[in-house]
Amino acid sequence: MRSFGRLLNYIKPYWFLACLGPFLMFIEVSMDLLQPTIMQHMIDNAIANNNTELTIQLGISMIIVAIIGLIGGVGCSIFSTKAAVHFSTDIRKDVFNRIVQFSSRDVDRYGSGKLITIVSNDISVLQRAVLMTLKVFVRGPLLFIGSVLIVFFTARELFPIVMIAVPILFIIIIYFTKKSASLFEKVQVAIDGINTRLQENLAGIRVVKAFGRENFEMKRFAEKNNMLTKVNISAEQLIALMMPLLLFIVNLGIVAALWLGVIKVDGGTIEVGAILAFINYMTIIMNGLMSSSHVLMLITRAFPSANRIQEVLTVEKDMVDGEHTIAQQKEEHLLFKDVAFSYSKNGEYVLKNINFTIQRGKTLGIIGPTGSGKTTIAKLIPRLYDVDHGQILLNGVDIKSYTKETLRKQIGFVSQRALLFSGTIADNLKDGRTDASLEEMKQAANDACAVEFIDKLDEGYEYEVAQGGKNFSGGQRQRLSIARAFIRKPDLLILDDSTSAVDALSEKGIQHALNQRHSTKVIISSKISSIREADEIIVLHEGEIVAKGNHETLLEESEVYKEIYQTQGGAGHE
Amino acid sequence: MSNQPKEQKTLDFGRGPSRMNGKGATPKKFIGTLLRIWQYMKQQKIRMILVVFMVLLSTLFTLAGPYLIGVIIDDFILKGEITGTIVMSALLACIYILISITTWAQTLIMVNVSLLTIKKIRQELFDQLQSLSLKFFDKRSYGELMSRVTNDIDNLHAALSQSVIQIVSSVLTITGVAIAMIALNGVMAIVAFLVIPLMFLATKAIVSYSSHYFSARQRDLGEVNGQVEESISGLEIIALYGKEDDVLTSFEHKNEMLRTSSIRAEISSGFLGPVNNFINNLGLAFIIFTGALLAIVNMASIGMIASFVTYSRNFYRPINQLSNLITTFQSAIAGAERVFEILDEKTDIVESPSALKVSALVGNVEFRNVSFAYEQREVLSSLSFSVKAGETIAIVGPTGSGKTTIIQLLARFYDVTKGAIYIDGEDIRDYEIRLLRKNIGIVLQDSYLFSGTVMENIRYGKLKAKDTDVIEAAKLASAHAFIKHLPKGYDTFIESGGSNLSQGQKQLLSIARAMLANPNILILDEATSSIDTQTEIQIQKGLAQLTKGKTTFVIAHRLKTIEQANHIMVIKDGEIVEQGSHQRLYNKQGVYADMYKQQFLN
Repeated sequence: MRSFGRLLNYIKPYWFLACLGPFLMFIEVSMDLLQPTIMQHMIDNAIANNNTELTIQLGISMIIVAIIGLIGGVGCSIFSTKAAVHFSTDIRKDVFNRIVQFSSRDVDRYGSGKLITIVSNDISVLQRAVLMTLKVFVRGPLLFIGSVLIVFFTARELFPIVMIAVPILFIIIIYFTKKSASLFEKVQVAIDGINTRLQENLAGIRVVKAFGRENFEMKRFAEKNNMLTKVNISAEQLIALMMPLLLFIVNLGIVAALWLGVIKVDGGTIEVGAILAFINYMTIIMNGLMSSSHVLMLITRAFPSANRIQEVLTVEKDMVDGEHTIAQQKEEHLLFKDVAFSYSKNGEYVLKNINFTIQRGKTLGIIGPTGSGKTTIAKLIPRLYDVDHGQILLNGVDIKSYTKETLRKQIGFVSQRALLFSGTIADNLKDGRTDASLEEMKQAANDACAVEFIDKLDEGYEYEVAQGGKNFSGGQRQRLSIARAFIRKPDLLILDDSTSAVDALSEKGIQHALNQRHSTKVIISSKISSIREADEIIVLHEGEIVAKGNHETLLEESEVYKEIYQTQGGAGHE
Repeated sequence: MSNQPKEQKTLDFGRGPSRMNGKGATPKKFIGTLLRIWQYMKQQKIRMILVVFMVLLSTLFTLAGPYLIGVIIDDFILKGEITGTIVMSALLACIYILISITTWAQTLIMVNVSLLTIKKIRQELFDQLQSLSLKFFDKRSYGELMSRVTNDIDNLHAALSQSVIQIVSSVLTITGVAIAMIALNGVMAIVAFLVIPLMFLATKAIVSYSSHYFSARQRDLGEVNGQVEESISGLEIIALYGKEDDVLTSFEHKNEMLRTSSIRAEISSGFLGPVNNFINNLGLAFIIFTGALLAIVNMASIGMIASFVTYSRNFYRPINQLSNLITTFQSAIAGAERVFEILDEKTDIVESPSALKVSALVGNVEFRNVSFAYEQREVLSSLSFSVKAGETIAIVGPTGSGKTTIIQLLARFYDVTKGAIYIDGEDIRDYEIRLLRKNIGIVLQDSYLFSGTVMENIRYGKLKAKDTDVIEAAKLASAHAFIKHLPKGYDTFIESGGSNLSQGQKQLLSIARAMLANPNILILDEATSSIDTQTEIQIQKGLAQLTKGKTTFVIAHRLKTIEQANHIMVIKDGEIVEQGSHQRLYNKQGVYADMYKQQFLN
């Protein structure tokens, strides 16, 4: 509720549109309300008295009223829509802007799936609610209040009926709205359940087939399907009762009006036209209440969406940008000083007491079992995460003192999960450096052993990469993402297990190219062959450095390293 | 591999507004699709008949109401007959009660008919997806398939539960009111009818005008959502390469496009209400005006005009509804068509009717002149080799050489284009598919886990396995060690896709899953690529036990892990270039020896 209110700040720039819309709607509604009154006049004064002139006058005024109503309605649609769409588009822009600035820790907290839903779904829900508010929410109450007032002033004899009927209508609507809200929440849960089943089934279809679990899956789906159908039926059955009930109350009002009418007409206090108008107004009262409750439901449903959006917008930056914009070139290139890190606050430390130095131009290898914290070390360097304790110095300066741009410009990072974006191969390579020439791209692709498959493509570097790079194999994606890092010609190159899906021949080529580069290198791998030539190798185990040295010394001194070496055919067939 | 279809469907899960999403256009096989939906609804014929009957009753009563009001005013109120008025309005009250009851009953029954029909179609669709081959899934994105099962079916539900009643009652009401109006006063009736074509024309014009904008909006929304999805899942890369501003610029461009097209679409469709309202009022004005003129020459009574006013409201509303319904209905039918399209899809992996029902396979595998082409591109050409039961065969070769294809053919994910694969002397196409796969355990390169506990995920390999069996399998796969350390051990909940586990942990679980299944033929496709070598060695021990006496296919990059294989096959460009034992191939100093040396001796 409060988030919704805060988000309404976004409508401020469009306050004129947002006011004009309901105002024009007010005109349309007033005109709609005028019609029955004019009709009443026509019947009671013009027709009953055979007054042709008045009949024509009133007929023309009915048409004029209709035209003014049309202008009001169309205008309302135009201005309300503009206000609502501008409102949501601006929010979408800001939300996306925030998310793009998110640190990895922020993303971890929400999960990327949830973030995607917020931008693509929640904002649409919000837009719909605002649009409906501007268009209908004004209309419903206006119709309702207007009708009640008109009945009060023109057919006061019948007003007691309104006094009785309206509270009953209110109670019915409130009851059903509340009840259906909780029921539809259950429906939503059931829908989510069925969507999850479906989505997982599609994503894991190979596993399903491999284990021949088709029947099992069908059964699981059938359970969810039955469940959804059941809650859906009970929800919709309840809703089905509302309309007939409301109709019944309104109709009873009409009967009562006739009853009361005959007495009053007889007594000469009311005219037939008034009864007729009253019948019309009763229907309008009901419709007004109904549409208000409908919009109210839409708005209440938008509250959770508004909350999520507001949450994203107000996330406090957990990473403060530094001010240093100049990166000097120091001999002592990278230094980890007593670094400790945990992914969750108060959680278990993934890294403890990490200390090491790399001199400019040297290569550091990091090896260790799954979950030992290798990738975490890599991610700390470009400040994807901030250390909890200790310091990381790049060129003698704490990485927190650099602006992120300056820091990351110095680094070429190849992550474990080779991720490409939709666009051409050239676009993807240029992500490494925007002004890269074709020659440079070719060189980088060559070094990353990606040329062989790029050349096979008819479009070459203009070949379109599908979303997520689905049209390339894992090994090809890795090679492209290595090329993307190479093209950057970075000072510091970090490769996080980035050749796991690359075949041996290409890997050899990539390694050769790596050796030719003058950058400082951090190479993370579970394969000794990838790091054996490193100037220094760190052996990581459960977040701690258990050994340090070059290949030869480690073979002699480190049991862990020796074991890894042997398991990889170290003593093999030389 | 082919370029994936670039179509980006917006995933509008749940119950989004389905009216006027512009994709309705003109369904090609409208009648055929309608008949097909009827096939499903037919099973609830009695209910349907009841619904129509109820609609008939409620329509009749609804028509009787205004007529009675006219009579009451003219014959009783104006004449001051109080008792008569009271009796007549009591009658009116009864009619109103009946209207409410029949309206309620028809919706109640229809909700059931519709939801049960929908349930059946949804289940059939899901079941059909289970029976289709991988070729089908290769061609389509998840998003596309998801939207079949969610959006299209939702639209159909909306159309069924509301439209059927509305169409029947609208048509009945319109006819009834028209007859009543003609009977009451021909001249006024004609005036009332004059407005109808105007309403239809206006609706049609607005809908066709706005549907153009709606498809533009749909396209822009797809673009925006596509970028959102891509950027958020690639946020780290964006951060690392400092691409935030570029991403923002391109997003803003798309967002602005969406702004423009949204405004156009929403405004143009927003015209429908006021315009129809205007035409209604116009009609009403004409009727009253005519009525007044007629009354002057004594061709109409005041009560008659009163009835006419009520009638014309009851006349225009269903017409409005009908013209709106056509759009809802069209897009629902279009959605149904897409659903049926999938239901009609024939799986290309067919089981022969006389399929062999063997409970267990021994495991002698033979590929005889097997060729396989995928979308006109030859992936494997004339491959022949055989593996004896209990042997281990390793398949090595560069990326894209066709290694994975070989095992996919063995599990009949795809059928061979030429040649045949034999297991225990029988063509695999002669086995029941379920039995064939039950006998083949596969650990895939991309190990997918389902949301559920660790226990449930491993048990996927053998549904009837006891907890102790599951733990045993986990131990064999060296997964027990890390599972123990999870917050709730075997009851730890795994997120969809296993996103809360590392790649290596996922692989360990999927190995445990295959171990539990304990099949006679085992396929390990890069099963240990993301696992560190020490753990890998441990698994190897487990695997050694598991593969004992079983035919095993191993695909691995780390050649060390396959040295012990009975047989090593080197594949390049879909052909076998070398085969034999490790020692033999090593001594041969060919492709294999080169690869091996590169891995270990650099």
